[in-house]
Amino acid sequence: MTGERFEGSEGPGVFAPARAAWHVDVAVGARYAEGTLSEPEAWSLEMHVEGCSRCAATVSVAVRATAPAGAVLEEVRGAVLGGVREAVLGGVREAALEEVRGALLADVLEGAAPQRPTTPLPQHLARVLWAAGPALRGSWLIALLVVCVGAVVLGYGAGFAGTRPLLLALAPVLPVAGVAFSYGPHADPMYEIGAASPSGGLRLLLTRSAAVLGVSLPLLTAVSALLPDAPGLPAAPAWLLPGLALTLGALALGSYVGSRTAAGVVSAGWASAVLLPVLAAQPGDGGGAGTFPVAALAGQLARYLSGGPAQSAWAAAALLGAALVLVRRGRLENL
Amino acid sequence: MNATHESTDTMTAKTGTAKTGTVHVSGLTVRHRRTVALDGIDLDLGPGVHGLLGPNGAGKTSLIRVLATVSRPAAGRVTLLGHECTVHPELTAARRRIGYLPQDFGYYPGFTVRDFVAYVAWLKQVPGDAAGAAVERAVARVGLTDRIDAKLKTLSGGTVRRAGLAQAIVNDPDVLLLDEPTAGLDPEQRVAFRELVRELGEEATVLVSTHLVEDVAVACTGVTLLEGGRVVYRGTPESLAAEAETEAEAEAGRAVTTAAVAGALSGGPVERGYLAVLRDHRAAASVTAPPASRTGAHR
Repeated sequence: MTGERFEGSEGPGVFAPARAAWHVDVAVGARYAEGTLSEPEAWSLEMHVEGCSRCAATVSVAVRATAPAGAVLEEVRGAVLGGVREAVLGGVREAALEEVRGALLADVLEGAAPQRPTTPLPQHLARVLWAAGPALRGSWLIALLVVCVGAVVLGYGAGFAGTRPLLLALAPVLPVAGVAFSYGPHADPMYEIGAASPSGGLRLLLTRSAAVLGVSLPLLTAVSALLPDAPGLPAAPAWLLPGLALTLGALALGSYVGSRTAAGVVSAGWASAVLLPVLAAQPGDGGGAGTFPVAALAGQLARYLSGGPAQSAWAAAALLGAALVLVRRGRLENL
Repeated sequence: MNATHESTDTMTAKTGTAKTGTVHVSGLTVRHRRTVALDGIDLDLGPGVHGLLGPNGAGKTSLIRVLATVSRPAAGRVTLLGHECTVHPELTAARRRIGYLPQDFGYYPGFTVRDFVAYVAWLKQVPGDAAGAAVERAVARVGLTDRIDAKLKTLSGGTVRRAGLAQAIVNDPDVLLLDEPTAGLDPEQRVAFRELVRELGEEATVLVSTHLVEDVAVACTGVTLLEGGRVVYRGTPESLAAEAETEAEAEAGRAVTTAAVAGALSGGPVERGYLAVLRDHRAAASVTAPPASRTGAHR
């Protein structure tokens, strides 16, 4: 019926409005997909489809049914998605780097006499990048951004209600991993030379830890604040103190067992403290609609993070960690 | 060569470190997990160029890493330039005055020679206003001025090694520790390197670990031979060469042994001396458990 109208003599003229009172039927869609529709007809169909989702679906099905066009579409889709992902990742990464550069620059600007002619970069900027450098390049930063972008996509794109609790559960160990990946004989190609120099030991370790925290604390907090709320979940900034405490704890523990082992132990400890009770409680109180126990995870996180006493305990743990780092500074000077 | 040696001794006295040298080590023991890398060694070094010889696994790198304050000894004392290297402010003071070329070193991708050396100048706390000139001077001393803005990853192994030497001297160190500095250098670069090291040794205490006995013979004023984590010989290149002669005299009249063949195949007299000392030490070690350390003219 609708197709008849479309094929009718009045046909869609060049200036015919896109939202005309006709619709595309399956046969016309198939002809469009095959490329046998006349040029003005195809053009007009395309204009119509832009404004009519019903017909767009019809045409889309028809196009996908024809094999070559389907393959081409897949390819285009892949390329577009890849491009978008690259652009988003690149943009976020640049922004994060700028932020850290700015923040650290402010600290270093005083004191360092600028010394231009011999170095291509302004001296203080170069120094900041040197100090923070390995912390902000490489796999850790990419992992962090993948987590952030993935969380946003999962929360909004897929409408997964458990995204925010999951991100909140993961957030405290991300800076811990960042510290482990930014300093030490396994992570830093210039560690050996740095370890023999006055600025290369504890000072560099702390600078890089600060850079890692400077990037991950605001970024993860912002992303988790953006995500759809889950009932009973602590507020987005609730993980800041635990993140700091776990990072300092990993640094202090690193003075005994090495930074990589320490990061592994601290991360595993946190993960089991959060996940084991949830897994144990799952059969009784699933909470979420699917298999993922959103409510149980949110409840567990709330027990650890919500409220004055919990946050005070984390603050105390952070202070204790900082004190331990101070006590163990001699050992941290050469790990 | 004797003249050089004497001047080294006067310089030790002049710098006021007559009691102990700029580098002083006593009872130093280093363990890697279960194996003992260094077994209670004592060492006292003053300004000059000291060659550190020994077979693979003798403990050369372990000694240099402890002196560079990179690894911790299991026991013993290390004093660098009068600083006890265990407590924080002293350790920092010592590290400012150390130059260190590791056996293997990496760099950040994208670093040019200038970035690399400037980064180390920053790590060594060379004052900001002097750093640029210090970087250029260090690079010029290793003959890389024309490549100063080249990316390290585009350079050959020998050139990267020279950049490594430049970073080690950028802070004009009083103690310079070089682990296998001549590995990967071609003969011409090696000659230039020896000249540079001799020049540096006029003021600084330079410890060079090497497999190339030639380097020691030409560039060094003192020789220390390690074997199995112990010092088995201390002396000068001349005294080490003399070891070969006494050995040859002792062997005269005997039939041609494998040892003599080895001696004939090895190049210079210092190399023959090195082999002779090692052979003697191993023979003694196989008879009596604790090997007696030999001391040459130097001590």
